[in-house]
Amino acid sequence: MSPYDLLPRFKAQYDANNQEFSISGVVRPQAIDELGPSIALLRDAIGRVRGVLYVNVRRLTQMNNAAFHAFSRIIIDACRARPDLKFVVITSSVVGWTSRKFGRLSGIEPNITVEEYDSEFYPGQGFLEGGGFVPILRTQTKMTWRHERAILPRHGMRPGIVMADICCGIGDFAVLVQKEFQPSRIVALDHSRSSLAYARKVAAEFDIKGIEYTYGDASEMLLEENQFDLVTCRHSLQVFNRPELILRELFRICKPGGRVYITNEKNSHCLGEPRADSIQWTYNEVAKLWAHFQMDIELGPKSRRYLTEAGLEDIRVESFMVSNHDGDPQDFADVIAAWENVYAGEMATKRGDTPAFIRRFRQGFQDHIFAALHSKGYAGWPIWVASGRKPL
Amino acid sequence: MEPVHHDLAGGPAFEPMIQIDMEIKAFVSVWRHCDYVSTYMARMISQNRSDSVRHSNLFSSAFNELLEVAFRTRHADGELACRVSRHGATDRIELILPCVPEERRFYEEAVSQVAGIEARERYLNSVSGDLAPSREVVLLELAVDYNATLRLEEADGDAIKLVVDLPLEGLRH
Repeated sequence: MSPYDLLPRFKAQYDANNQEFSISGVVRPQAIDELGPSIALLRDAIGRVRGVLYVNVRRLTQMNNAAFHAFSRIIIDACRARPDLKFVVITSSVVGWTSRKFGRLSGIEPNITVEEYDSEFYPGQGFLEGGGFVPILRTQTKMTWRHERAILPRHGMRPGIVMADICCGIGDFAVLVQKEFQPSRIVALDHSRSSLAYARKVAAEFDIKGIEYTYGDASEMLLEENQFDLVTCRHSLQVFNRPELILRELFRICKPGGRVYITNEKNSHCLGEPRADSIQWTYNEVAKLWAHFQMDIELGPKSRRYLTEAGLEDIRVESFMVSNHDGDPQDFADVIAAWENVYAGEMATKRGDTPAFIRRFRQGFQDHIFAALHSKGYAGWPIWVASGRKPL
Repeated sequence: MEPVHHDLAGGPAFEPMIQIDMEIKAFVSVWRHCDYVSTYMARMISQNRSDSVRHSNLFSSAFNELLEVAFRTRHADGELACRVSRHGATDRIELILPCVPEERRFYEEAVSQVAGIEARERYLNSVSGDLAPSREVVLLELAVDYNATLRLEEADGDAIKLVVDLPLEGLRH
């Protein structure tokens, strides 16, 4: 990797291992001379590669026409001089203009293709985004909110702050925060268009103002750095195979002195009485199942390490137990039934589990529901809350 | 159905949102003014769009190109006014800038070409051409990539008024 810090607002680099030239940031030169080093870097890269050169513009937020033309000319000229060479331009669906504009190049030279990067980064997202899961997500938030509304002020929540809720899902947490704490601004970001569409519909129906729902990739956000007093990211690091990339972004957009707040689970600690053994067996298996799909549903107690390694200080960690005594026990039972449906359904089938395993796996969820609805029963779902302060 | 208000010219009424006025000499003294003004105004007007961050990025991208065209215009003395107004899904940029008579002719010619059916083809030819994009091509690109419509309106004195409608809310992902 040869990093070139050319101008303060953009960066060009070439990664020889991946044959990838990338340019990111805001590129708005007055004269092309200002791009000299990055253009030289692209020419040099073209001279070195065989087969395919990847041109990564995923984090290119702005590029004026003068700069676009300068880079495009080099790529088009290279196509004509070296017919053996192919260019793959990687754009982001988040940025808005790059796919259209760079897409024109493939109409000019067939050796240029444009690929829009999307959600392949998130292996587990597909399981949890189905429309049927929405009511359960709402119920889950309702149950966790009973606890979090008391916990949040200890982690930097207060009226008037500017906050971001990253991986906001269907946006119900943002709405609850808005009603309870009246922050001055909430930006709520998610990588699921269907979830955001739902969130916007709810906001419109209930005339909720002040929440900006925005489409984005949590590991590469368009949001500028140092702008939020509180950055929340709930039940989401556990879904990503590389949570440290998300944390780096949460840290970046947080103001110095502000806090990053995360919640995660440790599913193997879900419990219930009666039928404790069956319940425990199933949730131990849930942890293994998630690990198979590169997700860590056991992340909760690791929060302190993750936040520390992200560069945060004054780390605060606490946990709470959502139980069948939080409101209507049927809500708890409905959540478990939804888990069973996804974990012992689509996920277990995709892993190739045997019918015998799936039968036993399902039994643990059924026993958890039995405990939740039993007149003398207890059923629990533990959550870990953690936050850290960005150094001044 | 929402009632639609019309202005005196018979078009739908655009609600004013924000305006920045600068001495033209001050504007052209620093290239980064194009970036600053486009980014600031984009943020201010995008907060109540369905996706504020995406809208702001798109709007800034288009508006910056317009300001760069204005920056490269040969001006008479006077003031540059940048005004943004809104009607439904469309944001309207009005740039009022003083310019010398041949520049006025340039804008008249450029705007009429943007409306032509071969606009897209001429834009593509320019991308693959050797020359750096002309100001006319930059205006063409707004029509091709942002579905913008452009027109000129009368303004007082030596000034011209460039009106650009940007339907960014409806632009596909």
